[in-house]
Amino acid sequence: MIKNKPSYPFETIGVAIAFSPRLESIIVETHRLAKLFGAKVLFIHIGKNTKEKEKRLVTLLTKHNYYELNYQTIWAEGDTVDTVLSTCKQNIVDLLIFGALEKENLMRYYLGSISREICRKAKCSVLVLVKPSMTPKPFRSLLVNGIEHPKTVHTLNTALYFAKYEKSEKVAILKEIYLPALSMAIADENTEPEVEKIKQELVEEELKKLKTFVSDTDPSKLVTDIHCLVGKPGYTISQYSKEHKTDMLIMNSPDKNLNILDRIFTHDIEYVLAKLPCNLLIVHSRVNG
Amino acid sequence: MLQKNEIVLLLFSISIMLTLSRIVAEVGKKYHLPIVIGEILVGVILGPTVLGMIKPDWFELIFPPAGSVRIALDGITTLSVIMLLFVAGLEVQLPVVLEQGKLAFYTSVSSMIVPFATGFGVAWYFPEIFNLEDNSYHLLFSLFLGTALAISALPVIARTLMDLNIYKTKVGMIIMASAMFNDLAGWLMFSIILSKIENQDGRIKLWMSIVFTLLFGILMLTLIRKVINRVLPWIQTNFSWPGGVLAISFGLCFMSAAFTEYIGLHAILGAFLFGIALGDSVHMHERTREIIHQFVTNIFAPLFFVSIGLRVNFISNFDLTIVLVILVLAYAGKLIGASFGAWFGGMKSREAFAVGAGLNARGAMEIILGTLALSAGVITTPIFVALVVMALVTSLSSGIMMKAFLRP
Repeated sequence: MIKNKPSYPFETIGVAIAFSPRLESIIVETHRLAKLFGAKVLFIHIGKNTKEKEKRLVTLLTKHNYYELNYQTIWAEGDTVDTVLSTCKQNIVDLLIFGALEKENLMRYYLGSISREICRKAKCSVLVLVKPSMTPKPFRSLLVNGIEHPKTVHTLNTALYFAKYEKSEKVAILKEIYLPALSMAIADENTEPEVEKIKQELVEEELKKLKTFVSDTDPSKLVTDIHCLVGKPGYTISQYSKEHKTDMLIMNSPDKNLNILDRIFTHDIEYVLAKLPCNLLIVHSRVNG
Repeated sequence: MLQKNEIVLLLFSISIMLTLSRIVAEVGKKYHLPIVIGEILVGVILGPTVLGMIKPDWFELIFPPAGSVRIALDGITTLSVIMLLFVAGLEVQLPVVLEQGKLAFYTSVSSMIVPFATGFGVAWYFPEIFNLEDNSYHLLFSLFLGTALAISALPVIARTLMDLNIYKTKVGMIIMASAMFNDLAGWLMFSIILSKIENQDGRIKLWMSIVFTLLFGILMLTLIRKVINRVLPWIQTNFSWPGGVLAISFGLCFMSAAFTEYIGLHAILGAFLFGIALGDSVHMHERTREIIHQFVTNIFAPLFFVSIGLRVNFISNFDLTIVLVILVLAYAGKLIGASFGAWFGGMKSREAFAVGAGLNARGAMEIILGTLALSAGVITTPIFVALVVMALVTSLSSGIMMKAFLRP
């Protein structure tokens, strides 16, 4: 039963493959992660099963010691996004890995590219690798989105699980505080120090809540930094991640089906998907199905 | 060109309006009264209601009813309205509405449709209540009343939510998201009504106004918004700060307003939609936003709100029946509509009522809407007075009602 299955441990890792030039590096990255978590690997290719493709895959898997792992390949045809996602559901995949460009061209982005659509619709956690490497390195610096939401506890726990296995040196959690219309509300009725005080109090209040949340969720104290920043949700964390050169950004899965309107009036995770600041782990807590 | 004595008079009247309104507003602040109440009160004192009654010659000397000074003051008032709509637009964040999902959608739509239908229905079927003299405006007046009852006042709402410490809660964000939607839909609808009034000769038909408004809205909220988001970082890097950004922002706002006025829509639409397009940019510095707000809210807003009192005699135009009818319609429409939407979207009934109470605040936006409608001749002065009273009463009662509904 996939419903209500915890978001970790990663027992089954799915890999969406497209026989692109990055296939080999994705295979190498997945090998490292599957070995780390002791997971079974499920390669999913949507497209015709040809002898050439099969031969190339077998060669690569042999080259990269997949005999050490329990793996399986699924060849399927149909709509790429829907078929990948239904395969993940049927096989109770805990983590789906695939590569994606840092930034899609405008048309592809608005129409919905395959990788972005999987991120939006997946019912399991997904790991998007922006620059998969032939010599993969552990994710040393993680950044978790600390939004106040019932899913965040699962996301943070998954991040801590990841950090524990990866021996990450830095696990930061960032809560974005969005204050729409605040400037307007306080423009005429407060002195400059009062305005600053109001903002500072709002930030401190949120920081206090976040610290309590982290200390309740992380008894082993793996979280190294706790921050609250005022700014637009999604955009602020994306910028922070870029500026601090984090290896992986970890976020909750979207609450609703995101469509083109969400891309036109960009918000939350769409800011991240518009331009991936680093590797992205979207945690699907599966508590609500 | 103004004569020397006219310049003196103009500067003196502006000085009186600004200083007195600020002093009264600061006193009102001690009693937690919104600034706008102080500003309107000063207008009432300086205008025909008090000064005009006691010393009519003084009133006419300081605020001449005609001539160059009057024209200059009217020009400043027009500029103020455009800038007020621009800053109102700056805070309308459509992504917030999307982010809040279905609950915000149900609340927004229901809090718009029910008050609109209530206002429209009563004005359409019982026009005699409002003593309408000109029957040719029956449809437009009905549409206007529906719109006037449907909008909310984002600044008052944000302020009330902060005072109640529920700004960052789910209830707070739903109220904010719905108020933003109401503002957008309300001003779009109102600009269609205004353009219809201003084109009574039939040059621009109603369907054309609707199509133009929608097209301009879509263009501003999609393409122009994206262009602004691209260009703003360049301006902020290469132009002096904050002067460069301020000059370009206001310059483009007036350009957009001029364009909408030129194509037969109202200038406020251009300013409002440009505000939304600019305010949505992730590159808009919070400090720049604050400076724009400080400039408009503390200089141009008082001039506008004081000028309202200067135009209207609030005592002789106070019609208790109209005031009561508008108050009942305002409370009933918004409370029922917004609460039902929030409840239907999944909120508990007490929280849903709190949402209704929060969205019931009309504040400054209602007064701006009423002033434009009065200038355009859609409403009579007693209806305008009733709208001002309704705006103030709903703003004052909103926080008290929300507190009562949210009490454990």
